[in-house]
Amino acid sequence: MARRRFWSLRPASLQDAVQAVWANLLLHGFPARMLTTSLAWLPTFWLGTVSWVLFVVLLLSGLPLMVFYIPSVGDAYHSVEDIEYVVSFGWWLRAMHRLAAHLMVTSTTLHLVRVFVTGSYKNSGAGDQHREWNWVIGVAMIAATVLLSFTGYLLPWDQRAYWAVTVATGIVSSTPIAGAIVREVLIGGRAIGQATLMRFYVLHIVVLPIAVATLFGYHMWRVRKDGGLASGDGAEGEAGLVHAIPRVVGRIAVVTLATLLVVTVLAVLIPSPLEGPANTLVTPNPAKGPWYFLWLQEIVADTTLGLGPLRINGGLIGGLILPLALGVVLAGWPWIDRSPLTSAGVAFARERRVQIAVFMFVVVAVAALTVVGLLRGPSWAFFWPWQAWPLVPTRF
Amino acid sequence: MDSAQPDRRSVIVKLGVAAGGAALAAQAGIVLRSFVPNVSYDAPTRLKIGLPERYADGLTFQPDARVFVARAGKRFRALSAVCTHLGCTVHAEAVLRPDANDPDLRLATQIFELSCPCHGSRYHADGTNISGPAPRPLAAYRLTLAPDDGQMVVDLGDEVEASFRLEVP
Repeated sequence: MARRRFWSLRPASLQDAVQAVWANLLLHGFPARMLTTSLAWLPTFWLGTVSWVLFVVLLLSGLPLMVFYIPSVGDAYHSVEDIEYVVSFGWWLRAMHRLAAHLMVTSTTLHLVRVFVTGSYKNSGAGDQHREWNWVIGVAMIAATVLLSFTGYLLPWDQRAYWAVTVATGIVSSTPIAGAIVREVLIGGRAIGQATLMRFYVLHIVVLPIAVATLFGYHMWRVRKDGGLASGDGAEGEAGLVHAIPRVVGRIAVVTLATLLVVTVLAVLIPSPLEGPANTLVTPNPAKGPWYFLWLQEIVADTTLGLGPLRINGGLIGGLILPLALGVVLAGWPWIDRSPLTSAGVAFARERRVQIAVFMFVVVAVAALTVVGLLRGPSWAFFWPWQAWPLVPTRF
Repeated sequence: MDSAQPDRRSVIVKLGVAAGGAALAAQAGIVLRSFVPNVSYDAPTRLKIGLPERYADGLTFQPDARVFVARAGKRFRALSAVCTHLGCTVHAEAVLRPDANDPDLRLATQIFELSCPCHGSRYHADGTNISGPAPRPLAAYRLTLAPDDGQMVVDLGDEVEASFRLEVP
């Protein structure tokens, strides 16, 4: 017999499969055997794996971008222009990075929706499970993903970047008492400038990626500790078990290729926008945040309230209190959900239909507000897609 | 030994944990403090914005200071162009104000309103908020005349009452 490697991607026996998990760094996170149902395309759509692949794409495309990008107020815009028009395939790196970021916000959000409607944050009562904490980690990862995307949004130092940061830090400073000092720490002064760019840059390339990577490791570890997918809870015996290697490795390869295909095709089709260099005096009209904040943009515009002589800025109510409250309720939902254990891991379980209806109502409301935000034209007016925008002066 | 009495070992462990915690907290505080700038590289708040005669009657946007300079004869005021909602720059928009007795708009007067592109706040030309999420009127800043060359000086760090006017001789 020819000399065999000590582990194999095509194990002949259970012992071989275990050996592969035991001996290989990349495979050691997998179980030796998995339920076939856990490998199915539905109901997970493999959205967690898709998000992970996108994160890797972001790391790999971000590295060369870091080489060309200059985090200085004077040079940032021109270095991004160079990446777009001068560096060989720079436009490609930038498009991959930008689209993977947008898609990661989308895929992590859809992953959250999937986990909610299938009740997968619930423990089935078997063994020592703490799925509720993995849900909390997941919510934290979405927050970190959105912050990653938003801090990256500032880096080109163009008009849309500058004014998005103006509005975001305006929301922070609408907080009574602490607002002004928190804003000063965040932007490194009283006006948005070099200190702001540097702070956001360090958040974007060091702090937040490490946070996501750490939380991701914790997330996967918990999935293993909790016994895999919630839909597989309660399965007993040998029936339905397959060797994780090569079956799960093969599926992950397919998901990776499909995700790469989508990002690549989109990167060819969708050019990355770059508006004029940041003009600290003139706000573009219309001025819109990134799409995942448009629903909040609608809310901050409608939540300025009067309490007698006191007027409370909509930035505080719609920009801070409401999203924070939503986040806390979302993260704490496993403790609010009192449905029976039998609904764990079941899609659209009857026992949970009221809470699923409430959740889907919020999801649809957020989506509807996002569409309204997308359709807004100059001077906050609403335009249907077939209505032309009026011409507005862009210079004064 | 009484079991309710902490023994020496557990007291020392607690002291150690407390000391370590205090040290970590102090380090975290130091790092946070370093993020609060001690020197401001912000632009100065007092800006010369030109001689009074440079400005026509009505509203003129002064980009260096991000203010509207309002002039009525010899009286001037500086109105902030920073929206009180979340800090975008408002711009002037011409609006036709119809006369109630004049459906054909023959007597309609053209006035200016200030409009914010970010969330649709609107203000009268005097800075009073009309509609949208703006919680209060636009700020007005102190205007003075520079003693050396007679230019107007706006102080963006000195907010004044809406009734403030600079009268030039």
